[in-house]
Amino acid sequence: MLVTITLQAVLFLALFIALVAVALRDVLNSIIAFAVFSFAVAITWVLFAAPDVALTEAAVGAGITTILFLVTIARTVRPSSEELFESIGWRGGVLAVALMGLLVVTVPSLPAIGSTSAPIATAELTNYYLENADTETGVKNVVTAILVAYRGFDTLGEATVVITAGLAALIVLRQETFL
Amino acid sequence: MLELIGTHYSYFAYVALVGIGLYAVIESSNLVKKLIGLNIFQVGIFLFFITGGYITGGVPPRVAEGGGPYVSPLPQVLILTAIVVGVSLTAVGLALIVRIYEEYGTLDEKVLSEAQINE
Amino acid sequence: MSTEEIDPTKEVNRIYVESTIIMTTVRLVVPFVFAYGLFVMFHGADSAGGGFQGGVIVAASILLVGFAFGIDATRIWISELLTRMAIVTGGTIFVLIGIGSVLNGGAFLDYSAYGLDKTGIKYIIEIIELAIGAIVSGVLIGLFFTLAKGDMRSGEDEQKSAESGQDQEATS
Repeated sequence: MLVTITLQAVLFLALFIALVAVALRDVLNSIIAFAVFSFAVAITWVLFAAPDVALTEAAVGAGITTILFLVTIARTVRPSSEELFESIGWRGGVLAVALMGLLVVTVPSLPAIGSTSAPIATAELTNYYLENADTETGVKNVVTAILVAYRGFDTLGEATVVITAGLAALIVLRQETFL
Repeated sequence: MLELIGTHYSYFAYVALVGIGLYAVIESSNLVKKLIGLNIFQVGIFLFFITGGYITGGVPPRVAEGGGPYVSPLPQVLILTAIVVGVSLTAVGLALIVRIYEEYGTLDEKVLSEAQINE
Repeated sequence: MSTEEIDPTKEVNRIYVESTIIMTTVRLVVPFVFAYGLFVMFHGADSAGGGFQGGVIVAASILLVGFAFGIDATRIWISELLTRMAIVTGGTIFVLIGIGSVLNGGAFLDYSAYGLDKTGIKYIIEIIELAIGAIVSGVLIGLFFTLAKGDMRSGEDEQKSAESGQDQEATS
């Protein structure tokens, strides 16, 4: 019960900070609000019993992404203006409300949060991984076992994506080597 | 209705995050804020996946002697990969923004679209 | 907050402001953050963590050094060869382990083809985690310095870590 109340409070806080990040006009304010948003989301992942995802979200969202944003606005420009908040645009507002309405219609048909009869939680595959990861691979962290051993090819694809992103940034900025 | 919010709260949170992110991508005039909106959108999708695998009273999926009901590890694996792909996307987007600034001298979307019309 | 646009080509915005507090703090903190990043990389098999998380934390520790001592000085300290070799070595080890299991008669990345017991498979998983950590940290460090240098053929000379100056100016 305490976990549920904490989860609801942290999610509400994350939503509020996301709204603040979008509503502020100065881009440095938005970046700082985005870093706080990443921290709130990392706490949410901890409460959802996902510590690997929480570590990655905190390190990547509040660390690397914020640093890259700051380097970009230092390298380019930080436009200044007198007002504090953005003006509301109607095109984006209508589209966002339409998408939210479509998605909200599907929400009641989803199983309740944390119900033990949810299809993902009770699938055969999940039970197979949970029971056999330690005996087959000797690794106790089932997420690492799946990432590297059972689904290692996807991880190779992800490493390829990371390297390709580095190369793409080099090509766009017309440099010949890193650093 | 209130009971529905009580049992499905994080699904409503994911819908709200997707809406906020989409609004930021479409309506922001600064290019960096569009990227911030894209990241918020991605976090909303991650929230949807991870709440799907959650069990009430579950422990993280690290096998120990006599542990309680384990949370499903499969959505977490998927989201781990997705977070790293998301940061790669943000990095390439920021490289493009730096290049656009060097070419046009501004990061404002309205000024950029006029500059492209006049070219 | 300044009321005119901050122009990175103006001399006053490109000066790297030395701050004793930041330099001393970073000098004390960075070895521990780096060691923690390596720990997360190594210990990912038994607790939360793994290659990606450890790689990102290691990259963040190097970027902290970049904040404190200036981007150009850090660029000279982290030799370009080290970054490139980290990426190449990580990728090559990952693919070679996969090809090695094909040569031993199994499928690609099928660790049981090596004929080891479960402790041997755990060592293979650790090596792959280290390879992934090397790739991720190398690419993220390289991306940071590439973004800080900007477009190379625009005719401007290099920034002297205007980003430290920018942060200080922004928070004043």
